[in-house]
Amino acid sequence: MRSHRLISATFIVLPVVVAVLFTSLLVMLVGNEPGEVFQTVWMGAFRNSNALAAVVNFWRPLVMVSMGLVITFTAGLWNIGVEGQMMMGAVFASWAARSLALPHPIQISAEIAAAALGGALWAGLAGVLKTRLGVNEIFGGVGLNALANLLAIYLISGPWQPPEGGSAHSTTPFPANSLLQPASTEFPVSMVALGLAFASIIGVTLALRGTRWGLQLKATGKSSASARLMGVPTTRSVISAMMVCGMLAGLAGSYRVLFTYESLRPLVSGGIGFLGLLVVLLAGIRALWTPFIAFAFAAIMAGSTRLRVSLQLDASLAGVLQGALVLLVLLSNGLRGRVVEWSDRRAAKQAASVSETASPGARHE
Amino acid sequence: MEITLRHIDKRFGKVHANADISVTFSEGKIYGVLGENGAGKSTLMKILAGFQPADQGEIVVDGKPREARLHFGPTESIRSGIGMLQQDPLDIASFTVIEDFVYGSGARLTMGLREARKALKIQCQRFGFDLDQESPVSHLTIGQRQQLEIVRLLALGVRVLILDEPTTGISAEQKETLFSTLGLLAHQEGMTILLVSHKLEDVVALCDRVVVLRAGQVVGEREMPATTSELVKMMFAEELPPQSRQAVTLGKKRVALEDVALRGRRVSLEGLHLSLSSGEVVGLAGLDGSGQDLVLRAAAGVIRTARGRVTVDGRDMTGKSYRQFRQAGVAFAAAGRLEEGLIAGLTLTEHVALGMPGALVKWRAAEADTSERLQRFNVRGRPESQVQQLSGGNQQRFLMAIMPANLALLAVEQPTRGLDVDSARWVWTQILARRASGTAVLFSSPDLDEIIQYSDRVIVFFAGRFIELADLSGVSIDDLGHLIGGQFEQANHA
Amino acid sequence: MTRKVSLAVVIVTVMVALTLVPVFAQDEFVFGMVFVGPENDRGWSQAQYEGGQYIEQNLPGSRMVFFPSLNTADNPETTLMDVAQNMVDEGAKVIFTTSDAFEEDTDAVAEAVPDVVFINTSGDNVLTGEAPANVGNVMGQMEWGKLIAGCAAGLTTETGKIGYLGPLINGETRRFAASAYLGARYCYGLKGGNPDDLQFTVTWIGFWFNIPGVTLDPTEEVNTLYDTGADVVLSGIDTAQAIEIAGQRVANGERVWAIPYDFVGSCDIAPDACLGVPFFHWGPAYLAVAQAVQDGSWSPSWDWVSPDWADINSDQSIVGFLQGAGLSDENKAALNGVIADLAGYATNPFVPDSFALWAGPLNLQDGTELAAAGQLVDPLDVWYLPQLLQGMVGASE
Repeated sequence: MRSHRLISATFIVLPVVVAVLFTSLLVMLVGNEPGEVFQTVWMGAFRNSNALAAVVNFWRPLVMVSMGLVITFTAGLWNIGVEGQMMMGAVFASWAARSLALPHPIQISAEIAAAALGGALWAGLAGVLKTRLGVNEIFGGVGLNALANLLAIYLISGPWQPPEGGSAHSTTPFPANSLLQPASTEFPVSMVALGLAFASIIGVTLALRGTRWGLQLKATGKSSASARLMGVPTTRSVISAMMVCGMLAGLAGSYRVLFTYESLRPLVSGGIGFLGLLVVLLAGIRALWTPFIAFAFAAIMAGSTRLRVSLQLDASLAGVLQGALVLLVLLSNGLRGRVVEWSDRRAAKQAASVSETASPGARHE
Repeated sequence: MEITLRHIDKRFGKVHANADISVTFSEGKIYGVLGENGAGKSTLMKILAGFQPADQGEIVVDGKPREARLHFGPTESIRSGIGMLQQDPLDIASFTVIEDFVYGSGARLTMGLREARKALKIQCQRFGFDLDQESPVSHLTIGQRQQLEIVRLLALGVRVLILDEPTTGISAEQKETLFSTLGLLAHQEGMTILLVSHKLEDVVALCDRVVVLRAGQVVGEREMPATTSELVKMMFAEELPPQSRQAVTLGKKRVALEDVALRGRRVSLEGLHLSLSSGEVVGLAGLDGSGQDLVLRAAAGVIRTARGRVTVDGRDMTGKSYRQFRQAGVAFAAAGRLEEGLIAGLTLTEHVALGMPGALVKWRAAEADTSERLQRFNVRGRPESQVQQLSGGNQQRFLMAIMPANLALLAVEQPTRGLDVDSARWVWTQILARRASGTAVLFSSPDLDEIIQYSDRVIVFFAGRFIELADLSGVSIDDLGHLIGGQFEQANHA
Repeated sequence: MTRKVSLAVVIVTVMVALTLVPVFAQDEFVFGMVFVGPENDRGWSQAQYEGGQYIEQNLPGSRMVFFPSLNTADNPETTLMDVAQNMVDEGAKVIFTTSDAFEEDTDAVAEAVPDVVFINTSGDNVLTGEAPANVGNVMGQMEWGKLIAGCAAGLTTETGKIGYLGPLINGETRRFAASAYLGARYCYGLKGGNPDDLQFTVTWIGFWFNIPGVTLDPTEEVNTLYDTGADVVLSGIDTAQAIEIAGQRVANGERVWAIPYDFVGSCDIAPDACLGVPFFHWGPAYLAVAQAVQDGSWSPSWDWVSPDWADINSDQSIVGFLQGAGLSDENKAALNGVIADLAGYATNPFVPDSFALWAGPLNLQDGTELAAAGQLVDPLDVWYLPQLLQGMVGASE
């Protein structure tokens, strides 16, 4: 067992090291100093509280989407439609922000509720399409993504365009009463939203670990047919998993419009949902790892803004680092399985030379 | 072709599946490879067929030794002339028969389709196989899929044929065809046939020599003929007493199907009346996919009836979901335990926890409950093991262990599929115990012995038609074998 | 847990280290540029980028820091605020936000960073009074460039059908398309055609450049324009699809032409298919701003800069028109005549400020009168043009 833990640790560290080496090599090839590059990214992300705020402001929607995706992945679903669910959350929140004028706390609660509703409905639609009409959630998701985008663009360039004429860039900025307020100018992050993010991390982790619902999702994900025969309401599992994920995605989307951009913009989800898919895969669908990996992604991406500004290096270098990381982690997961098997065999051989009796346990035929 | 295995050794973690096995299979003979579940016979055969690498040892093919560690990959094995017919044939469900044949004989991808059709037809005629070349593989019965696999392997030039439980799920006629085919291949064409089977009658009828494994080692070898009890003694080092059936008085009606019509992918059936009373065991016999699976699933609420009524303890359950059937006291155990029943990737504790009430999972209680059930049902495994790590017999035991108590109906599909004699007896002990406590039992089995031995009544199916045998006295296995082949008229005369 | 702790330790260490390090060299003048697209898009953003390079060449000690492709799709992790703060930390004293997409955000960021000057290109918030005191606007009078481009198209077309590939619809894009239309009409008439027979079709793709799944595909739209009879396509978008496709079609023996936009080097993509390119030369205007900021004389203004009529293609002119190899010698001569006329018109001190061909009678697309016969259209009415002009085919909003 000890050796397993050692192997596991090695195979977590190894791909990170290799990815960093690979990226360094690339940096050297284009004639830069890798140390300087990594330092710049680091400074970009953590040089002061403003920079850290930029990281947190990107992490917050990313982690919420990722926690939602942990749920759908657990239920065996590829929720590609998560981008559209973010968009719908953003659209619903924008509607509330534009149309309602309530006292600030109630106004914000209404917007957040609307965003959750929007995302959940859009995700639920994909779930119903899958369970009732047999439309695979991947195809349904792609379709619904496009639809959500079109709706947003229609609203931006149509009914919600600024009075001076549409530029298709954004709606009129929302009134201050409708916006999430930054904690301070030094650390411009909405504490309300940050609280929601932490609540989602804790909530999802506990739901998957300790509730029957979470266990039912896992059972449905591993084998839907068997789960049904064990009395698991699989249809309800699929739809509820989708809707909870959609809800979190909707909340993530609302942050983009209620805080980051202060208006609805085209593609406001910005591929964060897809990035979330990578984060969760990298975390091996483990709820507790997800926030940390999401944070690392956010730091690398936000930090690379600095890379661009101060070294004039293509910011897609950060994308390369990420891509290399994902590939190498997946690769090393495969490799780890083999090494564990190999070490088991060696250990068994050694044990066999000591005593011939095999202990009872899992039997193989 | 002569095959010699020398010092084959294979471990899975702590389990020593094959411990220094040395054995020779010479050409022109049919070998029975015997052993209880977990004895290591499947592992040995998989190593030989290249589905698994051995840790150590040598495989000598026609005098040419090679390291067993490197003898790996089915294509590699087939190239050296060894082919294996798996328990679940490795065909591709969406292909048609001819596509599967062409694709599967990958060595000759250049073979034209017309040529392939001719080759397939000749082979089928030679052995008397009944295969429609255009039919999708998913529409074939298990017997037909086996036949397809055999001709495919022969087309690949295989000289050593390994068969794993080939007589499960096929009709008396198909079995006869299979046996005569195997006899012809071994005794006239000089092929080496290895038969892995729990059905000692088959071994007695077919084999020239048996090799017996126990706990990963060869514990005996002998020339046939031998009686089944002699073989049992070799396998278990003791003779098993015949299982006795206590008479149970039938109680109230528990489950009834009234004028039911069912639609399946391959067959449909109409006008079925079936009622099961407390303490009654009804067996469903028939070739794979003749309609018995539909009846079993309809009675359990897994599929819906096209017409008619289903009642459980007097309540109308027509059109209700399986969940509602389950709440009404009906449980269903499918033949594919890991496809329908247990959930690969979940631990044993998680299985038990799924069945517990409450919105929150009480993990400690679930684990204690699991340990207790594992002990009570004699499952070899730990609560934290994942279910797919258990052997087939332990999986079946575990499935029984997590079924709810006090059922109205227990519907079991092939309860002893792939189990050795000992495990099979144990499973039936459990089923009969439930029966004694008032549960009605409905089961299907391709094993006609099992049907006759345990049923109070039998319904025989053929292509959607069915016939009820209310009185089993004087019905022989042979009679039943003809019935499942569709010769209903003879039965009526008998 | 240990990961979290060590992360926190590292963050704190770096922050402390940073406060100790003197960051900027004294005599350096840093300016920032933010682009909506890539800096090598052979269109709008590249022209902006070269404007920045012009400052670097002509202002000793100046250094550009820039950020390309700032939009929700390409860089979702970054906002204008983050970029601007990075630039300020890098020492930037003036930041050019070079798209109308940044108009709102520029005001918000400028308020948060009051001691840095922000120049929003093509915006009008200084004019309308919405902008804070550290924001300025710069725009070139591309209306002239589009009149000339339209003229080149009107002189060249053989089918009498001209296509205009528009980005999204707003005042700026409407007035550019309309200018091109007026130029085309005038010069089609010069060649002896009846201006009323000229077909001028505008297709809006929905954004400044292609975003798959969101905008119409410009490649497809250009092909459609050619396939439906147009033989000249003018581009109003940031990227170079029109000239690329014209080049392919010319290589296949078709008689078609294109007029790209924004960037002086665009004709190089397919010289034979290119009638010329109206381009921006932001350098001089930006250099003036940078110098003013450096010597402390800068004050906010809304600058709508006219070309240098002595030679619109000179180093001092913000807008120019570079003739392409696809323009016949005869038409070159005619076009030069028209340019000379426009120069004479624009520099005539007795003519009120206006864009020459923007003269009545002109109606908006819905029939509303824009200018009666003999009346000139006021430049600000052109800036805020509410619809396309009557006679043009295409959506006004």
